[in-house]
Amino acid sequence: MIKKIVSKNFDIKDSFKIDVALKNERYSSLASVFEKTPLEITEIITLSGLRGKGGGGASAGCKWSLLDEYSGTKYLVVNADESEPGTFKDRRILSHDPHLLIEGIIATCYAIKSHISYIYVRGEYEEFSDILQIAIDEAYDRDYLGKNAKYLVDIVVHRGAGAYICGEKSALIESLEGNRGYPRLKPNKISPEMFFGDATLVNNVETIASVPYILKNGAKAYRKYGTPDSPGTMLFSVSGNVNTPGIYEVPFGVSMLEYINKLGGGIKGGKKLKAVIPGGASTPVLPADIVKYSSLDYENLRDNGSALGTGGMIVLDEDVCMVKALKNLLRFYHHESCGQCTPCREGTSWSDKILDKFVDKTATQKDLDILRSISISMNGKTICVFAPAASSVIDGFLKHFESEFLECIQ
Amino acid sequence: MSFVFTKKNTLKIQELKKSYPKKKALILPLLWMVQKQDNFISEAAMKKVADITEQSYIHIYGVVTFYTMFRLNKPEKKIIEVCRTLSCELNGSEDIKAYLDYNYSNEYEILEVECMGACSGAPMCTLNGKYMENVTKEELTRVLK
Ligand SMILES: Cc1cc2nc3c(=O)[nH]c(=O)nc-3n(C[C@H](O)[C@H](O)[C@H](O)COP(=O)(O)O)c2cc1C
Ligand code: SF4
Repeated sequence: MIKKIVSKNFDIKDSFKIDVALKNERYSSLASVFEKTPLEITEIITLSGLRGKGGGGASAGCKWSLLDEYSGTKYLVVNADESEPGTFKDRRILSHDPHLLIEGIIATCYAIKSHISYIYVRGEYEEFSDILQIAIDEAYDRDYLGKNAKYLVDIVVHRGAGAYICGEKSALIESLEGNRGYPRLKPNKISPEMFFGDATLVNNVETIASVPYILKNGAKAYRKYGTPDSPGTMLFSVSGNVNTPGIYEVPFGVSMLEYINKLGGGIKGGKKLKAVIPGGASTPVLPADIVKYSSLDYENLRDNGSALGTGGMIVLDEDVCMVKALKNLLRFYHHESCGQCTPCREGTSWSDKILDKFVDKTATQKDLDILRSISISMNGKTICVFAPAASSVIDGFLKHFESEFLECIQ
Repeated sequence: MSFVFTKKNTLKIQELKKSYPKKKALILPLLWMVQKQDNFISEAAMKKVADITEQSYIHIYGVVTFYTMFRLNKPEKKIIEVCRTLSCELNGSEDIKAYLDYNYSNEYEILEVECMGACSGAPMCTLNGKYMENVTKEELTRVLK
């Protein structure tokens, strides 16, 4: 089931050191990259069907093409803010194969005609961004980066300071510009992000780390794995009530239950599966009977009423109280709302408070009605999709586990 | 009280300026530098950062207060952060937090934080910023002695 493309070097000793990395194929895609035009590189990525691994799943090639019509300085910003609960894959790339990321950045910069890339790493990841920084210094020493390189690319590691919302791409740019991390209003047409007014590509760490394989082996080789609409592989991960939580790279389309049982080692303590939150906390929960026919691709999970998100599954066993689980998640949203939009600031706060009543079993039918109306008020009325995500989390729990909430009503 | 960057940091700032198109982008890196130097961010330091980045003091204050990792006060104790988000809670983070509160709250400041990106090592905590995964009471007792 496992297919290692991005994770190939994870288990190699000292894989983060440049000499080990060089022995294991790192930087080997670049020679052929520079023989092609930037346009040709973008085309290969588009043909490969590579989709963004930061949660949205947008076509990477299409996003890169958006920068074509812009002249002037262009920027590549790599999103290493990784804060979605249940998600811990990007960190492994930073600490175990930073040279793969650097290689991907060089190729991507070449394709979008950028000479500078910022890697925005969440503040908590200090020890891992230190490893990344050492790798970057090594790459400068060996002339993969900097003014003596074949193609000039500079990489700057920019450290965040604790704010989930800075993972949202426009908030991330605001933060990079030295502001509070407030998401921006979206433009009325599809366009790139703007860093100090210049066109900027924001991609997730894993997206960029997938680029070298594709450029070295071709779009077709990548499409050999996965499904027609979700091509390739992903660093899926599993945590919660399983025996062997971790990151296991598999092609899109594998059965979720098989993944959990074979790679996640099954449910801890021989218990039964109750539910799975499929792709980070912001994706609606799926009960075991739907998990049975779910597969790990964008289309299947969308059709089943959830989303693939970051591919970080949180597995809940039969003993988990769903009221308490929702409380945990709403506390997270309450804590992380940036507070710009009234429906989100108030909605996340009140829904969190109302959940306390359910946990204490002092809730009334009215509280359940209010919770539902809060969910409606948070959906589709805010600057970013943080609030709609919180809303869909509430809806998922109420849809599939309503009886547990009713049991808490006086 | 005034704030001065160390010589080493002053040189670093000159280098950093070349890495960004505008000085304003230096705000977060400079605030980190301040916090590394003093262990917190004082009013004087914020004024210094405002000067260097050509921004108002109140803008800098606004930025500092947005991010949970920036501190306006010097911590009196060493800090332990316990992750409380779902995967950690499912694996006993509440017990770990209670254990720490009961036994170590005199010597350590024990905080709860949201998902740290270590869910496969749940329950997890950090000790002075360093990750500890799959923590147990026994291990904590050993490490904190
Ligand atoms: C609330 C919120 C939080 C997000 N957090 C992250 C994150 O931590 N890391 C990430 O790569 N993308 C995150 N995203 C998605 C980014 O906005 C963006 O779509 C992504 O970085 C683009 O890269 P990709 O196309 O390569 O996935 C978040 C989005 C939202 C709405
Ligand atoms: S939806 Fe919430 S997180 Fe997003 S901009 Fe509005 S207040 Fe901020």
